[in-house]
Amino acid sequence: MSTAATTVTYKAPKRRHPVLQFVTQQSLGAAGLMVIVLMGICAAFAPWVAPYDPLAVDYGSMLARPSGEHLLGTDSFGRDVLSRIIYGARTALAVGFLASFVGSTIGAVIGVASAYFGGKIDMTIQGIMDVLLSFPIIVLAITIVAILGKNVVLGVDVNLIIAIGLTMVPRVERVVRASALAIRELPYIDAARAAGYSHARIIFRHIIPNVVAPYLIMLTAFVAQAILAEASLSFLGLGVTEPTASWGLMLSGAAADFYQQAPWMIVFPGVAISLAVFAFNLFGDSLRDWLDPKIKI
Amino acid sequence: MLRYTLHRILLMIPTLLGVAILVFFLLRLAPGDPVQLMMEGANVQQHVLDAERARLGLDQPVHVQFYRWFAGVLTGDLGVSMWTGRPVIHEIAIRLELSLQVAVMATILAILLALPLGTLSAIFKDTWIDQSIRVFSIAGLAVPSFWLGMIIILLLLSCFSWIPPLTFTPFFKDPWANLSQLIWPALAVGYRYSAVSTRMMRSSILEVLQEDYIRTARAKGVFERLVVARHAMRNAMLPVVTVIGLEFAFLIGGLVVTEQVFNLNGIGKLFVQVVARSDYTMIQGLVLLVAAFFVLINFVIDMLYAFLDPRIRYG
Repeated sequence: MSTAATTVTYKAPKRRHPVLQFVTQQSLGAAGLMVIVLMGICAAFAPWVAPYDPLAVDYGSMLARPSGEHLLGTDSFGRDVLSRIIYGARTALAVGFLASFVGSTIGAVIGVASAYFGGKIDMTIQGIMDVLLSFPIIVLAITIVAILGKNVVLGVDVNLIIAIGLTMVPRVERVVRASALAIRELPYIDAARAAGYSHARIIFRHIIPNVVAPYLIMLTAFVAQAILAEASLSFLGLGVTEPTASWGLMLSGAAADFYQQAPWMIVFPGVAISLAVFAFNLFGDSLRDWLDPKIKI
Repeated sequence: MLRYTLHRILLMIPTLLGVAILVFFLLRLAPGDPVQLMMEGANVQQHVLDAERARLGLDQPVHVQFYRWFAGVLTGDLGVSMWTGRPVIHEIAIRLELSLQVAVMATILAILLALPLGTLSAIFKDTWIDQSIRVFSIAGLAVPSFWLGMIIILLLLSCFSWIPPLTFTPFFKDPWANLSQLIWPALAVGYRYSAVSTRMMRSSILEVLQEDYIRTARAKGVFERLVVARHAMRNAMLPVVTVIGLEFAFLIGGLVVTEQVFNLNGIGKLFVQVVARSDYTMIQGLVLLVAAFFVLINFVIDMLYAFLDPRIRYG
């Protein structure tokens, strides 16, 4: 036995790719991720996926029922609902991702700085964040949209993204600050300080890499919030404007006048919003369980 | 306790002051003003615009404007609407009853749904009961409340040919008409609210069920029903109360959009209107009101903590 043992070489446990690990351990999250990827493909290749031009007005087939020709029916301008939903995924994902990215990044940077510098700076920042936190998301977004007005670059309203993103800053800031506070107390930060590294170097090289998990978790969670906020704002006429396809916009205005004649105008865009938000929530939840179950979103 | 309470009350002041300053100055940074919007399209001469601005005090330096407005706020006077000329407090007061009632009804609905569902979900963890309740609550987080409202109207319309009434019936005039009008928007915004609380209740009960005193109670032979009702639920309430408070902000947000759907002339609809009109004084008044409400609710919850959990004593 002992002689045989010497010839056996140690076999390292097979290291699987992290994506594969995630898919096998978090099946619900993987399902969410699949829906997200599918939506992303639809959005990216919208001109090839969509059966009709989303802007093509066809008064010959106004308010047509769902049929083989128009799978999800048409709206009051005779525009194909399915095509508008597919193009709407572009708006939702673009605004959702960008707003969440902008908001989470600003929030994370402020959170880390606040935790690192502490003292008066921390107190001042927390005071400002408390002010921002006392606005409901939609109220803050509406106020900022009203103040900034519209500023369309490459077909995307930059100010809408900023407005939605800013509402997330204090929420991300709190979580990231809490994580950074714990890291600040660790000995290797003292070591870095003793070695005479600059504040910037300590923040970027030593603290930020360690708060990536909460940052990513908040980022995905807030994509869902941003999609909801975009839909709500567009529904109110304060977000994306006609003729751009947006799920929230499809539910506003004319849709409400045709409750009985054309219920498909109301049902399907809402299903699209719910499905998108649902997918991001599932994925976000699983990501949290996988990366750091202690974080409360 | 008294010292802590006073400290908390004092802390609310800088937050609300910050809200007031932020809204006031940001609004005036924006291009365009209410006078310009009011006269839009009409062929008016510059001196008319100037006279109107002077009447509303918009020709003054910004800090003077702020000082005047804020001095009023401190004495409980929020100024007059720049659009209708009526006092801001009056405009808000006539709509507050409706929104407040929907908010309270939504909260009650949410609690009535969340406590039993969350508890059931925890007790029957990983069974089909738990799974279906979890799907129900995850869906609640995803469904936009305004769309849920539209779907409710659609169903009521096709089943009972019910359409949202155009006017609001106060509760004390005709309770039945009032409730049958407001129960639907309350349901639409309450669903999301209940979803968050259900999830919280579930995880909170699961945590409490691990505690030693639960094992002790079970070992003593206490009926499982009593263990859950007396020991687990009571102790699990604390985090749920917090969530209910924090989610109140979302509730207000949900109301802003859902009131449009149900044609309710409440605070939310008013807010969208005044923003579209750049009615500075109204926006300031409303934002301040909502923020004050939010800060106050969180204060009340902190105080409730000490009441619900005698172990917590604020020094």
